[in-house]
Amino acid sequence: MSSNTNLLEVCNLHAGIDDTPILNGINIEIKPGEIHAIMGRNGSGKTTMANIIMGHPDYDVTAGSVSLNGQDLLEMETWERSRAGVFLSFQYPQAVPGLQVGNFLRKSVAAIRGEDAAKGPAFRKGLKDAMQELGISRSFLGRYVNDGFSGGEKKRFEILQLMLLEPKLAILDETDSGLDIDGIRTVAKGINTAIRGTDSGALIITHYSRILEHVQPDKIHVLIKGKIVKTGGPELALELEERGYEWLDNDDNYADSEENKSTVKITD
Amino acid sequence: MDSAETYLMINSPKKADHLWRYTPWRRVHPTGNVDEVPEDIVTPKLSLTMLDGTPVPAGIGIETGAKVEIDDRNDPVAVNFLRAVTKNSTFTLKVEKNFTSEQPIILQIQTDDVNSGLHLSLDIGQHCEFEIITLIIGTAPWFGFLRSGSVGNGTILNDVLVGSTDSGILLRIDAINIGRDAQVKVGTISSGSDRTKSDLRYIMDEPGGHLRVLGSILSSRKMQIDHHIEILHHAPETYSRLNWHSACDGESRTIGTGMLRVAKGARGADAGQLFHNLLLSDKAEADSIPELEVSESDVVGCGHGTANGPVDDAQLFYLESRGFHPDEAKFALISAFLNSTLCEMGSVTLHHWLTKQLANGNYQSILKR
Repeated sequence: MSSNTNLLEVCNLHAGIDDTPILNGINIEIKPGEIHAIMGRNGSGKTTMANIIMGHPDYDVTAGSVSLNGQDLLEMETWERSRAGVFLSFQYPQAVPGLQVGNFLRKSVAAIRGEDAAKGPAFRKGLKDAMQELGISRSFLGRYVNDGFSGGEKKRFEILQLMLLEPKLAILDETDSGLDIDGIRTVAKGINTAIRGTDSGALIITHYSRILEHVQPDKIHVLIKGKIVKTGGPELALELEERGYEWLDNDDNYADSEENKSTVKITD
Repeated sequence: MDSAETYLMINSPKKADHLWRYTPWRRVHPTGNVDEVPEDIVTPKLSLTMLDGTPVPAGIGIETGAKVEIDDRNDPVAVNFLRAVTKNSTFTLKVEKNFTSEQPIILQIQTDDVNSGLHLSLDIGQHCEFEIITLIIGTAPWFGFLRSGSVGNGTILNDVLVGSTDSGILLRIDAINIGRDAQVKVGTISSGSDRTKSDLRYIMDEPGGHLRVLGSILSSRKMQIDHHIEILHHAPETYSRLNWHSACDGESRTIGTGMLRVAKGARGADAGQLFHNLLLSDKAEADSIPELEVSESDVVGCGHGTANGPVDDAQLFYLESRGFHPDEAKFALISAFLNSTLCEMGSVTLHHWLTKQLANGNYQSILKR
């Protein structure tokens, strides 16, 4: 499902932390129903970009714009972005000892989708089905948020939230890191269920092509030193797996060329 | 010599005394004149029921008078003072041996707007298994509560005290001996009085005792909540853990002083204490002083620690990214912090009751003040 209106538009985004520039002019457009992936070395700015879209207070945006369905996200607080439809699956989800998973999920769903969506048989069925799909047992609901969870449980829990919160835009920050093959399959299934065939979109941040085999992104972007230096189809992931990033380490890629200044167009 | 005479014979504690360093004795004395033993302390109303309000079964009840002498390893000042002012307000919680109850029992202590006091002696028999919530409510400007006694051998007891008075001063003393192989959890939830001074001492003279002391404390406005917890390992193979969480808002101050004493001969003792403080405003203050005195070398372990800090920014961001308004996120994190000791205090039923009580009452109203 797609339309001509962009779901996410990131235009010439410059941002950093404590006067250190990290993003140096990012341009991305995602249309409803599209899944994009961002790949790049450690420290290239992938997580920074995810955090900035979500509104992390530690980062400063120095230029550019970010909008969701035409709404200026940079004008919104984190909770407003979340309620507007942005979801971030964290690379390292926070543990909150003492906050029960069941209560947390109910409150999140109520905040984002409204009180009615967080109660009654429909909510319980949605929760049960999503947990079943992700292989999460009912006892999980009595545990505390990410407290004592294994790496795999944390990632599954992030995807459970994705499925229940039904965001317009899901940003998945290294959701596949630390997962075994079965875990990657399960998580990928959850992403496909939440995004494919809907008007939502996703931005998957990853180091590996394996999850992309299961999710099949529409576009892959390569981020180096805070800039998108290449955009391609799913085959780009395999090329990166084979050749690494060195062949893209060309200073021309970071120059403010007209190509880099312009928006990377993702077309159907 | 009666308790009043004994009290008056004892010199008033100096400010340098560890126990009274943060909250001087005169500040929790009902009149402030430490040379006085007031005669007008009244008895609060007591009721003992099951959690659902039905009568308690045979095997547990409250009797007039106290039968158990108080161990002299407790602080003589507050103990003798409380014994003196509660001489006509002395009761025993008598629990027959082998008593069990699946549903928690609730002891409600209701004060009126006059200075009140109670000496409750615990006479808990062997091999019992039950949970009891002591709920202190009311408007007394001063309430003195002395609990003494013992928990019988092999008994499994979850004992939670909820301090839920509207304001005023709470002076609380626990002087309790833990029996052989007994498994005891003692929980404290304090969030009501303007000034609280507690001296909680648990003595493990018998081998195999297993004790967990848990605190879930919320202070706001100009409250001062001061707890001293002392656990004495005198017998071999005894185990204790102290885990104390305090959240401080407004201009309030919480104090937690812990003392783990492992006596010579307490081989195989395993003791640990941890204080966590959550600071919710720039003017709030939390002091934690965990101390150890270990005289036995053959121990499993003895450790202590403390951590202070504001609400965690990363946790706030996580909840806000899930649609929580910043105020809701902060409240959820404070509740979670307090709940992480609360949930250890007993059964699911007990925990459910406590969280409901606190969510609907104390914590909400205190944070909104």
